Amino acid sequence: MLAFFTGKWSSYLAGVVVAFLFVLSLYVLNDSIGFSDPYLMISSYCERSIEIKRMDAPPEIDWQTAFLIGIFAGALGAALAGKEWRLRILPEANGKNALASMGATIATGIAGGFLVMLGLQIAGDSFLGLWSGALQASTGAWLFFASLLLWGIILTSTFAILKRRGSTSGDGESEKGK
Amino acid sequence: MHPLNLDGVWKIVAGGVLGAAFGFLIVKSKIAWRKTLMDQLFLKNTRFMRTFLASVAVGTIVFYFFNKWGLVDFHARPTFFWGAVGGGLLAAAGLTLCGQIPSSTIAAIASGRLYALWVLVGMLLAMPVANAFSRWFADSIGKWRDPLNCQPTIESAFPNGGVFWIAGIALAACLFLEFATPDKEEE
Repeated sequence: MLAFFTGKWSSYLAGVVVAFLFVLSLYVLNDSIGFSDPYLMISSYCERSIEIKRMDAPPEIDWQTAFLIGIFAGALGAALAGKEWRLRILPEANGKNALASMGATIATGIAGGFLVMLGLQIAGDSFLGLWSGALQASTGAWLFFASLLLWGIILTSTFAILKRRGSTSGDGESEKGK
Repeated sequence: MHPLNLDGVWKIVAGGVLGAAFGFLIVKSKIAWRKTLMDQLFLKNTRFMRTFLASVAVGTIVFYFFNKWGLVDFHARPTFFWGAVGGGLLAAAGLTLCGQIPSSTIAAIASGRLYALWVLVGMLLAMPVANAFSRWFADSIGKWRDPLNCQPTIESAFPNGGVFWIAGIALAACLFLEFATPDKEEE
């Protein structure tokens, strides 16, 4: 039993558990799951605190904020139980020096996070909300995931090709230099 | 039979417990790691897609019967074709850069991956912009005609077993990925 919590999970086991958790959430909460509202609340809270130049009174906790806090606690528990908790400042070694890697991590992190959240807001729901929608055969959710996968593969391939061309031409130049 | 529909403090407690279960699952399924989503987009490792398809194969059937018995109600946002397609495009561009979704960002930070804090900053910065952008979007692109004339659910478009078709196709796709893609590597 303990191995279930501390061991590795196959993608199929994770998928089945996700499915039951989504249905259980709909039964217990009778609401679409997700936490766009707490993100909006935290964002407005930071904006207000910057405006008045001091920490504003903390907003009230609703079930979506509790869900967000729960995700943090659950993930922390799983990482500790599975011995996967590691302090990492950079995603992975990419051959660059630490300063360049840090710059790239900050730039891609902020730009990527911004675009992901903007996309989800335009789609009208959080990622988990859309996933739950897909299980309910919602056409909007399926359109979103089809678009996400298609554009994701196209954009990633384009970036990879451009990066490879960049590094090839760079090598060429260094060869000429020799 | 009807949904439990908790209220007040119990709803907050239930939200916390369900959040903890999802947080645990996000780490266990490896969706929390940037690498999982990046590898999915590069088609190097289809772990995320297999998790998603397995959840669809089981979840659509479970939801269909629970909904039929009155235990759960339909709770998904109304379909807006251009919002879903445009949102998918923007989210894909973001995923290509950072490899994180909102829930995985929180889970990654909790697991010590502090680089995800920058993603969280980006997401928080997007909220006020999204509000302004949504208004512009609703006044312009929001008025465009839906080219597919989408129904709210696939089931309403295909009433004769549409849900079972979704589950069957998801299962077949899952099996295809299992046997056709070379990835089985763990982190």
